[in-house]
Amino acid sequence: MLDRLLIEEMIEAALSTGGDFAEVFVEDRYNAQVKLLGGQVEKSISGRDFGIGIRIFDGTNSIYAYTNQHQKDQLIKMALEASKAINKVPQNITLKFMDEEILNKHIILKDPMKVKAREKITAMKHAYEAAKKYSKEISQVTVNYIDEKQRILVANSEGRFVEDHRVRTRLAIEAIATKGTELQSGIANYGAHKGFELLKEMDVKDLGKEAARIAVTMLHADNCPSGKFPVIINNGFGGVIFHEACGHGLEATSVAKKSSVFADRVGEQVASEIVTAIDDGTMPNHWGSCNIDDEGEPMRKNVLIEKGILKGYMIDKLNGRRMGADSTGSGRRQSYKFAPTSRMTNTYIAAGDSTPEEIISNTEHGIFAKNLGGGSVDPATGDFNFAVMEAYLIKNGKIDKPLKGATLIGNGPDVLHKIDMVGNNLEYGQGMCGSISGSIPTNVGQPMIRVKDMTVGGRGGEA
Amino acid sequence: MDIQNLKTAIFEAGKEMGFSDMEISYVSSREFSCDVFKEEIDKYRIAVEGGLSFRGVYNNKMGYAYTEKIDESSVEMLLENARQNAMIIEDEEEEIIFEGSSYYEKIDFYSEDLEKVATEAKLQFLKKLEKACYEYHPMVDQVNHCLYQDETSQRSLYNTKGLSKVEKSNIALGYVSVVVKKEKDIKSSNKLIVTRDFKKLDPEKIASEVVEEALARLGASPVDSKNYPILLKNTAAAGLLSVYSSIFSAVNVQKGRSQLKGKLGEAIASGVVNIVDDPLMKDGVASRSFDSEGVASKKLSLVEDGLLKSLLHNLKTARKDGVESTGNAYKPSYKGTISIAPSNFYIAKGGNNYEDMVASLEEGLIITELQGLHAGANIISGDFSLAAEGYYVKEGKIASPVNQITVAGNFYQLLMDIEMVGNDLAFDFPSSSYIGSPTLKITQLAVSGK
Repeated sequence: MLDRLLIEEMIEAALSTGGDFAEVFVEDRYNAQVKLLGGQVEKSISGRDFGIGIRIFDGTNSIYAYTNQHQKDQLIKMALEASKAINKVPQNITLKFMDEEILNKHIILKDPMKVKAREKITAMKHAYEAAKKYSKEISQVTVNYIDEKQRILVANSEGRFVEDHRVRTRLAIEAIATKGTELQSGIANYGAHKGFELLKEMDVKDLGKEAARIAVTMLHADNCPSGKFPVIINNGFGGVIFHEACGHGLEATSVAKKSSVFADRVGEQVASEIVTAIDDGTMPNHWGSCNIDDEGEPMRKNVLIEKGILKGYMIDKLNGRRMGADSTGSGRRQSYKFAPTSRMTNTYIAAGDSTPEEIISNTEHGIFAKNLGGGSVDPATGDFNFAVMEAYLIKNGKIDKPLKGATLIGNGPDVLHKIDMVGNNLEYGQGMCGSISGSIPTNVGQPMIRVKDMTVGGRGGEA
Repeated sequence: MDIQNLKTAIFEAGKEMGFSDMEISYVSSREFSCDVFKEEIDKYRIAVEGGLSFRGVYNNKMGYAYTEKIDESSVEMLLENARQNAMIIEDEEEEIIFEGSSYYEKIDFYSEDLEKVATEAKLQFLKKLEKACYEYHPMVDQVNHCLYQDETSQRSLYNTKGLSKVEKSNIALGYVSVVVKKEKDIKSSNKLIVTRDFKKLDPEKIASEVVEEALARLGASPVDSKNYPILLKNTAAAGLLSVYSSIFSAVNVQKGRSQLKGKLGEAIASGVVNIVDDPLMKDGVASRSFDSEGVASKKLSLVEDGLLKSLLHNLKTARKDGVESTGNAYKPSYKGTISIAPSNFYIAKGGNNYEDMVASLEEGLIITELQGLHAGANIISGDFSLAAEGYYVKEGKIASPVNQITVAGNFYQLLMDIEMVGNDLAFDFPSSSYIGSPTLKITQLAVSGK
């Protein structure tokens, strides 16, 4: 991807002012995006990203520089310019790259770059038609398709010289239902670390119908009441609750500086005993998986919480230095434009014993959050929030009327103790997670869970 | 390869391939940023980048492609990708490559003084800012972010209809976030300053404001769930407006994604509300003299005394509605296709002092912070339900800090329910647009607490 001798020279230049570690990251990526609006192709764009990032450590201080210029003199100049942030005596570091062959765990069957646009559009139109046909109230449908093929190379002064290939494909559908002047939307999406085979394996029509079903249901929903309720959170993308409430607080990014509520608490009971949570970047072909992280470390399965006890964090190289701990293969970044930091991959709450029916019938009066949107958290306080795209009232142990406009808020450490039922139906959902190293694909997952009580915000007044 | 030569090579090869009109835009930038943590340089970042975007009309359809590898080897790939992309477009509306406006405002959005600020001065600013935060109050437990960033960028637009525009701009920002701790109570607060004038980054002033805000939040608790009159503080109001600014985009109106359809000339907000888009604003982050299609920028009045006067248009939506483009064509970097976005977009300031607005509340809430805007605000329905923080007001006075609540309402209704507009216009975190609002007094919103 980039000449090996040039990479060596860049690392030597980077270390010329006393840095004790340097890394070169090269990225070459093809992106394609097609958008169908009202059943017609409205937008199609493709392009190539190519750039180089260089990182230098001086103890726990880090310097990052990147460019998409690729001439030798420009790259050496950048490495030297970055090194100027350090002013020490050069250390005696001998550079010797060790070639590593990475075992590819994520087999791609159909390279999306070799698939004709027609084929992509045909699948998108099936999704569109299924959504449009669902109801006369569906007034607009947008279908977005993306695929990307990313090649990366990581070389560092510890001798690592390793490449990875990642291919991702995703289909997202938004349906809008209209009644008079009122509009409601429903969103459904599916993605994986796969090629075009993804669209062959999944039922695109079902995905279209699902988006339409949510939009129409919400058009006939009452405003969600406000107050404290027991809340049942559905499996799959419902796992975003763990992602926000706890996951971000377990990233070394905030743990190392002790600005997380979970810092210095390994071995403590941080959640109820029925909660086991895992971050696993090795799951074959899952949305958040890679062979190696963006620092060249093999991804692995990290148990974060086991039966309520905090077991460990997600750690990258730099924060590992601050914490005196090894990397857990969690260093990720959106592109060469970002220095990596510790991030989630595929993060989920493990399956428990209860059936979904038991959880619902055991709830006298509460809220069932069937489809969740995104959310956010302040890792310093643990306060989080997230939006519910589709909710229902639970009355006398049964699912009652649909509710719209619900938001759930709470405090991470507090809510983890309040999980009192965990279902047996673990599923995953795909999201994009934004943080300081950019927007990256992450899987969230969980079985159906119940939280004893949570603050629910809606416009429907007190229930 | 020099951009002028590359332009010529692309246009020549494109013509041979069968493109009628063609356009390239080239964006290049240089960025510097630095974080200080506990008196040391924590992160130090330099970036030099550029990207080239091509679009061209092939069989009456517009095809787009881009590359970050700027050399001759990319010419063929660009043209071939754009041709392939054009061939699958089914949207029947004709795309336009623009020959240029007759007049462009001459305003400089580039400060040479800012470019000249030495790295050392930037680092000193950060070290002083961090120190000032710790020294301001013993309860400051951590300054978890202390960041300076500046960027100089240049964008060029050339097409086969003879348009040739270049504009250079720069901007700097300072950002700090603090955590205060009183026994087991932890609260945080942050502050952002965006400017082209380095002297406006005053460490002492920023430190006092951010720490005071965090301290004021200590001891916060939820209030009873019910409807309250609300003062939406300027930055919180700007955040909410950021999310909903897209309802003013003509493309969203035309495609049935905004409820402003058919509302031109009608009251969509209370009579005290005026909304403006001003790409020529001197201190604006999104300031420019021409938009992504090359149309000259000018100040636009969208809402006057509550009446909807105009939408945001590009050439294509304007033609469909039989109006002129408002110069709001927008392309998210060289990687996107043309859409619509506001520039410096804000609710114009009114005549009320913040203190008078607080005093006007018999019982109510001041909302200083709204969280999870990307998720809890539904752009299509207008419904929002958002985690919030602020203060409880009783008899015109701030009584106690409030957290762990949600406020819920509908944005279209909220516009109608604005009773007072403050004189304290402030802007949200800059993104593709720069969006601002003064403090707003809202008749009521539904609050969920204890």
